[in-house]
Amino acid sequence: MSSVFVTQAVVDAGPVSMGEQVAFYVLGTGSLIGALGMLFARNAVHSALWLVLTMLNLGVLYMVGQAPFLGFVQIIVYTGAIMMLFLFVLMMVGRESSDSVVEVLRGQRLAAGVIGLGFAGLLVAALVRSLTQVKPIGLAQPNAQGGGNVANVGKLIFTDYLFAFELTSALLITAAIGAMVLAFNEKRRRPAYAKSLQQELVEARFQGNRPSPLPGPGVFATANSVATPALLPDGSVAPESLSEVIESTARERLDPDLLPEPDAHALTAPEQREGES
Amino acid sequence: MAWKEGIVLQPYLPLLLMFVLAAGFAVFSVTAAPYIGPRRYNRAKLDAYECGIEPSPQPVVGGGRMPVAYYLTAMLFILFDIEMVFLYPFAVKADDLGLFGLVEIVLFIVSVGFAYAYVWRRGGLDWN
Amino acid sequence: MISFLAQPGGLDALQAPEIDYWAMAPLLIVLGAACVGVLVEAFLAKPQRWPVQVILTVLTFAFAGLTLGLRLTKDPKGLTTVAGALSIDRPALFLWGTLLALGFGAMLMIADRSVEPGGSFVASAAIRPGTIQDRAQAGQHGMQTEVFPLALFALAGMMTFVAANDLLTMFIALEVMSLPLYLMCGLARRRRLISQEAALKYFLLGAFASAFFLYGLALLYGYAQSVKLADIAEATGGTDRSDTLLYAGFGLLLVGLLFKASVGPFHTWTPDVYQGAPTPVTAFMGACTKVAAFGAILRVLQVAFKASSWEWEYVLWAVAIVSMAIGAILGITQTDVKRMIAYSSIAHAGFLLLGSIALNHDGLSSTLFYLLTYGFTTLAAFGVVSLVRNADGEATHLSQWAGLAKRSPLVAAVFSFLLLALAGIPLTSGFIGKFVVFRAALAEGMGPLVVVALIASAVAAFFYLRVIVLMYFSEPAADGPAVSVPGAFTTAAITLGVVVTLLLGVLPGFALDWAGAAGFVF
Repeated sequence: MSSVFVTQAVVDAGPVSMGEQVAFYVLGTGSLIGALGMLFARNAVHSALWLVLTMLNLGVLYMVGQAPFLGFVQIIVYTGAIMMLFLFVLMMVGRESSDSVVEVLRGQRLAAGVIGLGFAGLLVAALVRSLTQVKPIGLAQPNAQGGGNVANVGKLIFTDYLFAFELTSALLITAAIGAMVLAFNEKRRRPAYAKSLQQELVEARFQGNRPSPLPGPGVFATANSVATPALLPDGSVAPESLSEVIESTARERLDPDLLPEPDAHALTAPEQREGES
Repeated sequence: MAWKEGIVLQPYLPLLLMFVLAAGFAVFSVTAAPYIGPRRYNRAKLDAYECGIEPSPQPVVGGGRMPVAYYLTAMLFILFDIEMVFLYPFAVKADDLGLFGLVEIVLFIVSVGFAYAYVWRRGGLDWN
Repeated sequence: MISFLAQPGGLDALQAPEIDYWAMAPLLIVLGAACVGVLVEAFLAKPQRWPVQVILTVLTFAFAGLTLGLRLTKDPKGLTTVAGALSIDRPALFLWGTLLALGFGAMLMIADRSVEPGGSFVASAAIRPGTIQDRAQAGQHGMQTEVFPLALFALAGMMTFVAANDLLTMFIALEVMSLPLYLMCGLARRRRLISQEAALKYFLLGAFASAFFLYGLALLYGYAQSVKLADIAEATGGTDRSDTLLYAGFGLLLVGLLFKASVGPFHTWTPDVYQGAPTPVTAFMGACTKVAAFGAILRVLQVAFKASSWEWEYVLWAVAIVSMAIGAILGITQTDVKRMIAYSSIAHAGFLLLGSIALNHDGLSSTLFYLLTYGFTTLAAFGVVSLVRNADGEATHLSQWAGLAKRSPLVAAVFSFLLLALAGIPLTSGFIGKFVVFRAALAEGMGPLVVVALIASAVAAFFYLRVIVLMYFSEPAADGPAVSVPGAFTTAAITLGVVVTLLLGVLPGFALDWAGAAGFVF
């Protein structure tokens, strides 16, 4: 089918160079592979990475199609920002979680597949048919005038599509408010103007039991992780040196076989461990 | 003549060469290191270095999930990314657009700035 | 090195597009007020936000209404401005007036804090439903006052949507009106999970519909080499261009628009979202989104695709029939009041489509009038729904409405009147609306379609009457819901809806004249 596009372009917009053909086939195949990979990858993160491949290929395709600005925007905004958002959301949902395979409506998947393929077939057929009647114009001529592609885009944004452009700021504001409303929990912080001052911190420290900093983790020849406790002169563990985060992790949740080898209590005698807990 | 290879691809050729060089260097370094470097293992070498902790199958906090606050970061990044997308063509055409264009882009930046002010005052930029 | 990316431009200083600020004033005021609302959220302390937002909202509507009124007194035909992106003509002004009035009513309900203590919106939406913190915040009286600027942004999007004179502006407006609605749907104070589910469904399906719209836009651009409605109209006027692109593009574009208007087979989101969203937001969506979507459909059909109407006319006939059938038949099976009104809105969308495809002056004016009547009736109906409550919040199951007339004769009477208006009984605005739309359709030779519409109206009338019978002739359940006495805001909104419904039913002449003042300018 792609040959239809190319040969049609030959007819109407002058000869197609070898370079263009090669670029088209390579990039087209790449984006198609990326799209299929995204659909069929089991892991959501892999899906997202396949999507990156598609987006990159499309971006280069735009550049080859003499729309360098669009190509760069595609790469910067989509493969950069949007993809990052995708991955953050995937991580938020949990890397391990996968789609539920239960079909809520019976036969829905089959029906959706058939209708989707039918729709795609219809659209592709219509486009192929219409290409015989459409004269490709290309951007070579407009790009040669008015200072190049980016300058022409700038001119259009600030004249013909000025209102649409200014209206996008409303979209951006809404997006920011939405992210704040749905994702930001205000209760957990003090307002910026009431932040504890350095002076208060110092006073709290000196009025407390421990003016000095907490002891650091023990560093021995066998391990240098922060999970390793410091030892007191009598060989017992200094409790202050243990990280709160590590201690508060629910150890029961972890499979005992997979527990990290030198853990926080590795150097403690068993009876002492029981005494602590 | 819609297409001339010379017009379109040539400017990207150095870029492409750079990519190829970078990729080649990366692949070469990674594959060559095990063969030409000395190999002396001890246990501490495989440990996480000082600030790290022992990796476990599940990340320690939150059961393998990232806190939702990252979403805000990503959204703000997109915000400024889009703003930049509009700034670039403006900068290229700034001379011709003149005062009028300046007013328009300032209006745009200021209105996006409202969103920024909102996020800032509500503490969305504080990292706890 | 990449020199062509930034070649120095010639010294051809660009001409700034003409901007008629006075003509755009209502729109600019709403947009500006939304931005100020964001600043209020940013810089004021929590207790001050609600009163300041309410004052700001009232001022916004006052000034926007004032400028709109001034605009109406002059310039009989209308104009296009900002490089032809907006067309501020008579239909656009009529729709702006309708949107502002309906939006004001909906905003009053959004601001209300008496029916549901603290307002219908959650105090902190970021807290996960069902957690300890969530139970703790249920007792708090604050609400997320961000809904005020969000609603204003949505309203500005709708106002742009009905005035957009090119498809690109229309698309951005579509997003500006949709994004805040997606958000607001998920902010209910009670039944938060169903509210969030509604928001998610609306967002996913809405994004899908936007993609259809955008794809159609791209194909139409390929066809006409322009996104301006006037250029597309010119291109359809007999050329050797590819009709395939035109019809594929038109079809996809229309799917996006019909989705927003919740017409026919593109309605699947409507019942779930209407049910799950906080009731003031449902009222806002039910009234204003419908007006905005049909305003855009009217403009697109009448301006851009009039010349090619014989090709697509029968497709839209089929869509209208499907919509009326789905709305009327599935409406009968509903047991939830909000879902029932949702299905009713699908049936009404079918009637509205009838007027929209009658591509003459009467079709335009009758559809505009119908939108006005339907909007106010729906607004008031959702206002009443928000009043019938029990300990868990709104009691929307029909069985809980049994015998309501014995508990609160006034509320039952008002709701009965609104249902009769939705059914199209004489002396209500619904009757006049249906009458003028059917008359315009008949004049265009759409007799069979009008017959189907009459049958659908009769079927739909059954489920409205069923509710009335239930309220008046059943015994109230012992543990049935109580009717809250609404505060000033909700009372005002319901009164507005009921009075307009009655007024347009008795004296429709003024509004009909206004709706039929002049056609589109492009």
